[in-house]
Amino acid sequence: MEALFFAWLALTTTPAVFAAMGGVVWGILGGALPGISPSITMALLLPFTYTMDPIPAIVLLASTYVGAEYGGSIPAILIRTPGTNAAAATAIDGYEMQKQGRGGEALGISLVSGVIGGLIGLTCLVLLTKPLASVALYFTPPAYFSLGILGLSVIASLSTGSLVKGLMAGVIGLMIATVGTDPVSGVSRFTYGAPELLGGIPFILVMVGVFAVSELLVQSGKPDIVASGKKRQLTIKLPSWALLKRLRKPQMIGSGIGLFEGCMPGAGGSIAAFMAYNEARRWSKHPEEFGKGSPEAIAAPESANNTVAGTALVPMLSFGIPGSNSTAILLGGLLIHGLQPGPLLFVKHPDFIYGLYSGLLVANLSLFLLGILIITPAVWLVNRPKPFLLAGIYALIFSGIYSIDNTLFDLYLVLLAGFAGYIMRLLGFPFLPLVLGLVLGYLIESNYRRSLLLTGGEHRVFIEDPISLGLLITALLFVVGSGIRDVRDARKKLQQAEDSNS
Amino acid sequence: MESSTTDFTGKQRPALRYIARDFWVGLVMLAVAAVYWFEAGKIRISPLDGPVNASGLPKSLAYALGFLALVLMVRGLIDTHFAIRSGKSGEAAPALAKALRPHLRAMGMLAIGVGYLLTVSWLGYILTIAVLLVAVSLYNGARAGLKVGLFAMSGGVFFHLMFVEFLGIPLPPGLILAPILN
Repeated sequence: MEALFFAWLALTTTPAVFAAMGGVVWGILGGALPGISPSITMALLLPFTYTMDPIPAIVLLASTYVGAEYGGSIPAILIRTPGTNAAAATAIDGYEMQKQGRGGEALGISLVSGVIGGLIGLTCLVLLTKPLASVALYFTPPAYFSLGILGLSVIASLSTGSLVKGLMAGVIGLMIATVGTDPVSGVSRFTYGAPELLGGIPFILVMVGVFAVSELLVQSGKPDIVASGKKRQLTIKLPSWALLKRLRKPQMIGSGIGLFEGCMPGAGGSIAAFMAYNEARRWSKHPEEFGKGSPEAIAAPESANNTVAGTALVPMLSFGIPGSNSTAILLGGLLIHGLQPGPLLFVKHPDFIYGLYSGLLVANLSLFLLGILIITPAVWLVNRPKPFLLAGIYALIFSGIYSIDNTLFDLYLVLLAGFAGYIMRLLGFPFLPLVLGLVLGYLIESNYRRSLLLTGGEHRVFIEDPISLGLLITALLFVVGSGIRDVRDARKKLQQAEDSNS
Repeated sequence: MESSTTDFTGKQRPALRYIARDFWVGLVMLAVAAVYWFEAGKIRISPLDGPVNASGLPKSLAYALGFLALVLMVRGLIDTHFAIRSGKSGEAAPALAKALRPHLRAMGMLAIGVGYLLTVSWLGYILTIAVLLVAVSLYNGARAGLKVGLFAMSGGVFFHLMFVEFLGIPLPPGLILAPILN
């Protein structure tokens, strides 16, 4: 009853409804732009949420995630270029349908499956988050420290690229987090006399730099896909009842996989989408149609990645451990507004939690209507020449970041982070551990030092606390497991190379 | 070990001189760890510090990064060994100019950004953002002409109205347009 009251209150007394709808529109448009991932779309919006109230701010970001997952399917179907990584599976059969003149139908299936997946994801989010978060009530400072270490280890282990580089990125993130005033003694660290650095390097600057600016730098060196092809048009066509009946099974398969993958840190929408595609083919009555324009092959991945948009919030809201780039941005948004994820969030800010849920419900429901209405501008945007899009996004970054603190210093930091992000891409370092290290830096250091203060410097406290010990062992298992996987992969490569030589 | 490799310029050189990229990345990271550790040593000790002072975590992080850098270097050396054994080190590398082109383009984009930051206080936001729109679109292949001009003008006005007038952000008015805009 209390939940319904807070949800109603959020919808009627805050601009959460407008934020949800605005976020969906922005997400669809951003997701429709090839190369602009949901996390970049959200990062571009992050500076604008600074001055907003927490509920509409976070609803805006979370709804952008919802919209972007659907938006990514538009260029995937239209020009076989997925707007998001998660839409790559949709591109296979979506583009085949487009070639057969059934592009509108493919888009309709994508939209309906996305809405169904999103609603299932939201239901799981509501049901799972609070019980999981209540586990964290038993956490002591050593356990919180170990939770931070576990989060970093899991993300570093599961991120793309090598384990060593993932761990290095996490350590560098923690290093950046040490810039500024020390959380215990108040001593300034690595500030070199710059007063702007006393408060630390805001993670929003690093996020926008490594995600958005580095993507602009990469895109600048790539050819314009749109310019090289003819302009495409598309009108959405919703699936018939008979087709909807046929799509029920792949949608449930997709949502089931999305539920599992969303809750798993590091997995994300793209893995869920491809797994859903494979499983839908395995269980289909017409597996031979897959790859040739099967409606089921669109329904399964689209419901999977939209389910992930909901369930990925479960570990983030319960423990403050984001499992993907998009949820890391969302966590950044929460911290900007002084909201610390975990069980206390449900106790101290129930209005926020239920406001977020109701905002997400509005977002998922409005996705259906807005997905139909926004298709023409989205297709128009997909057909725009890249030079103008890059220029517009660059201008938006400069204007948005300046509006946070009204200082040019932040813009220099964003460019520096963009340059660092570009180098990281070049050398195969994943971003997520870096961002996570930066976001979790305070949690890890403050709880580490608080634990040692309580025990007079005894490090044994981290293995004497059972929760802390369990978390540290799990972290170790993840790192060792990934290390073994890396060595096995390297051996396999060597064997293949030797076989091909002989 | 007797095979040869081709460098960026297309020249053949002995395979022993080929070392995988991860080794160099590890070496740079080791240097970063050393500098960070050295700088961490300069952090002031406060009487408010507990058992671990303000430089405690930074120094631990420097050790961690240093250790990981060494692991990466060893991995780089192992990769080198495998590459030479499998003859991959001898594969022709792309020409230097071709390999560098996308990176130079990316640095050009950064330079445009720095140019914006250096001029915005003088020229003012509305003018500089319009120049930025022109520069980035031309740099990325748009043809100079009326279309770009209109895009820049409308974009400049749009961003000014959106940020300065609607959101009330005090973006730099600049020395030239300040008397008019104020």
